[in-house]
Amino acid sequence: MSGAASGRTALPDEAYTVALLTLPGLSPTRLAVLLGQRQAGDDPAVTRPGDPVVPPLFPLDVPKAVGPTRSAAEVWSFVLAGRALQQATAGGPGGRLGRGGRGGRGGPGATRDDDPEVTAARWAAMAARLDVVDLWERYRRLDIVVDLLGTDSYPSQLASDREAPYVLFRRGRQWPLDGHRVAIVGTRRCTPAGREIAREFGQALAAAGVRVVSGLALGIDGAAHQGAMEGGAGRADGAPIGVVAGGFDLPYPARHRTLWRDVVERGVLVSEWPLGTPSEGWRFPARNRIIAGLADAVVVIESQERGGSMITANAALERGVSVLAVPGSIRNPAAAGTNQLLRDGAAPVCGIEDVFDALSLDSPAPPAKGDGRTPPGATAERLLAVMGWEPIRLDVLMAHSTLDPSTIALELAHLELAGWVAERAGYWHRIGPPPR
Amino acid sequence: MIATIKSATLLGIEGHPVTVEVHIGRGLPAFTVVGLPDAACRESRDRVRAAFASSELEFPKTRVTVNLAPSGVRKIGAGLDLAIAVAILAAQGRIDGRVVEECAFLGELGLDGRVRAIAGVLSLVDALDTPAVAVPLECVNEASLVGRHLVRGVSSLRAAVAAIAGREPWPEPPFVGTAAAARPSVDPAGLIPDLAAVRGQPLGQWAVEVSAAGGHHLLMIGPPGAGKTMLAGCLPGLLPALTRAEALEVTRIHSAGGLALPHGGLVEQPPFRAPHHTASMVSLVGGGTALARPGEISFACHGVLFMDELAEFPPAVLDTLRQPIEEGWIRVSRARHTVTFPADFLLVAAMNPCPCGEGGAFGSCRCSDAVRNRYVRRVSGPLLDRFDLRVVVSRPDASDLLGAEPSEASRIVAARVAAARALAPTRGVCCNADLDADALDRWAVLSSPSRRLIEHRLRAGRLSARGLQRVRRVARTLADLAGDESGVLDERHVAAALELRADTAVLDVAS
Repeated sequence: MSGAASGRTALPDEAYTVALLTLPGLSPTRLAVLLGQRQAGDDPAVTRPGDPVVPPLFPLDVPKAVGPTRSAAEVWSFVLAGRALQQATAGGPGGRLGRGGRGGRGGPGATRDDDPEVTAARWAAMAARLDVVDLWERYRRLDIVVDLLGTDSYPSQLASDREAPYVLFRRGRQWPLDGHRVAIVGTRRCTPAGREIAREFGQALAAAGVRVVSGLALGIDGAAHQGAMEGGAGRADGAPIGVVAGGFDLPYPARHRTLWRDVVERGVLVSEWPLGTPSEGWRFPARNRIIAGLADAVVVIESQERGGSMITANAALERGVSVLAVPGSIRNPAAAGTNQLLRDGAAPVCGIEDVFDALSLDSPAPPAKGDGRTPPGATAERLLAVMGWEPIRLDVLMAHSTLDPSTIALELAHLELAGWVAERAGYWHRIGPPPR
Repeated sequence: MIATIKSATLLGIEGHPVTVEVHIGRGLPAFTVVGLPDAACRESRDRVRAAFASSELEFPKTRVTVNLAPSGVRKIGAGLDLAIAVAILAAQGRIDGRVVEECAFLGELGLDGRVRAIAGVLSLVDALDTPAVAVPLECVNEASLVGRHLVRGVSSLRAAVAAIAGREPWPEPPFVGTAAAARPSVDPAGLIPDLAAVRGQPLGQWAVEVSAAGGHHLLMIGPPGAGKTMLAGCLPGLLPALTRAEALEVTRIHSAGGLALPHGGLVEQPPFRAPHHTASMVSLVGGGTALARPGEISFACHGVLFMDELAEFPPAVLDTLRQPIEEGWIRVSRARHTVTFPADFLLVAAMNPCPCGEGGAFGSCRCSDAVRNRYVRRVSGPLLDRFDLRVVVSRPDASDLLGAEPSEASRIVAARVAAARALAPTRGVCCNADLDADALDRWAVLSSPSRRLIEHRLRAGRLSARGLQRVRRVARTLADLAGDESGVLDERHVAAALELRADTAVLDVAS
């Protein structure tokens, strides 16, 4: 009710910040304009032409200011009064906002929504129905930290970024974003070998107190964090950082629900979107710039020629963050992107030592000789030789091996138990380093 | 002026005795058929009248009433034509009533008086208790399979009259000889492909052999051109010939469904049925409003039901298969009647992993995850679970097709299959796929190394509790094929059974 906004309850300004962000079409960028944190302008990292949720409302040609000039509570009262947009333009560069989308600059996203008066009226109606106390209580219950760009509490690691999020949500035990941070990213459609490498790297980095930054996606991202969980068990300085593309209450992908929970338990989740925001496709590239902005180095394990990891790598290059890539076979489509990065000058990663070198850290002592796996027998060696290092179907393996089918099945079962091979989605893969 | 003749009608695949009563009374010329005849049966009036005329027999010029008793059973089809005609002749006194009293008549009449073959003769004759039956000439062999009756062939109404009067002998069926029946070949028509012709598919060949040996339902997943259809086609050549009881049951179903029977009347080889994915539910499971006809799954009884492009079948149709797969029969219920058809088939299915067929293969698959997901979801989890054997086959490469040495011939594999199958009856089942939990505890004990393999899979979530039983059954069959009769399963066979039951995660997208 509007009573909540009347000031009877002493609510922090963040409460009004999140209340504002729940209004339809009020993106972080627009919020920044309303708060006077920046002047009207389009932020290509957060919006894009034709974007249904955040159509280009403001002209692009105004440089950004830092630090809000009015409180969110004040803006909220403007919104309730239906005067939000007029207030935003007051003192700004003329009446440019008023023309909004009706001019030639409307772009493909120009709709009724771009009419400031219609928008302001809608916001006022929505705001009148919203219970700010209740909403803020949800954030408090979930221990979510809300920061505005330009305020003192905003993480310094991102504050200087050229596309820093105007609002940053953090949730988790280790919510400061300090310490050494390495992003491990890669494709969702990875090979088991890639997944294994991501897990090993995550484990080794966390064990050495380096924080793993990743996107909690399927495939490489998730494996890296799973490894970080294992490696960082019992220590605080390797706490994982998960950067997500939606609200903290809507885990995406759904099968990583427990991973989200674990990251909150042990590290921190970061997002620029309020609760209730679904992880839609267009939010991921924007999310990736935060990953790049947070990391001291970005390690791409496996990537197709196009995809989110390549966007992250490019964002890292733009920021002068070093990009490392794990080389792969030229015939492995899941390594096409990483190989391209290597050709373009990324530093190759042939082992976890290379990552530590890039951070100018000492590599932890290599594990004691051998890796504890039972060495394969003579027949198994023959089978491994036929398998090679590419994923292979069981029937192809049978066709290429002189061993009889039931022997192959038995040897594979033993190799799998010993940890030399793994089967995923119908393909057998060799995993771990080769036997010495 | 009253005569009664025994005949029979078909409901589902069961014969029901029918008594044809004819009364010729005074009145204006009329010909009525009462006693729940269906349309085809009622039309016999016109056929009988025309057949009389063509056979130079005089049709009564007064009132003719035909009653088909019992009146509660629906009389289906034209199979009562001959009985009606003979009953009219008897009522006219043209033939000796005592001769026809001993004999039942089955057959459809043509307008020219010839007697045409009808469906379901085996079941119909089996339902009759008269000492003799007269059946269409083409059906004599089939009718003789029952073995309780003196079977007489009838070629035409005129010949029947002559034979009943004793003027001519009953017509002899054309000689089909024992030569055809005694031919050693499993495949007299040469239609079954030989396993030796399949190249570069060791996994597929192995799966087909195990499927035949244990009666295990088999699912093959692979791109077009991998040879799935050919592998499935080899199966009938690997299965042993039907036992007498099975052969009679299959013959009964095929005959009732109007399928062509082999010379000699008895279906001795396991049937192979491959319904197209556009087949309707009724054509697959049986039914129909008036005529309860067995469906493809019953025609495949004691043989192979091959469903190519499994994911293209409508999901509702696929899910009706679950009961017959478990029970071995299907009950079809309609408002007027309920019939039960045997449907004890070996299900062999083939499907592409996705619409383009490449199944997310690195690089070559053109389908998005969403498209692939939608495609594989068409086959429900419970149905996928019922396949003891699930193998993923790839398209063999050129060197396999051209260079590989020929694989084993069906003849050799069939011998191994027969030896393995012979062991199942000693465990009280007809094939290992039917072993229940108690039997498994006795005949498929897990040794501790095999337990280790299974525990690993169970922990990794790649094997379900139900999957475990199926793996044990398959491992039992593998041991039988290897001649290993010990009740404790060797680790080798368990490992192989695990490999032959590919994780359905093969079909799972983006995990």
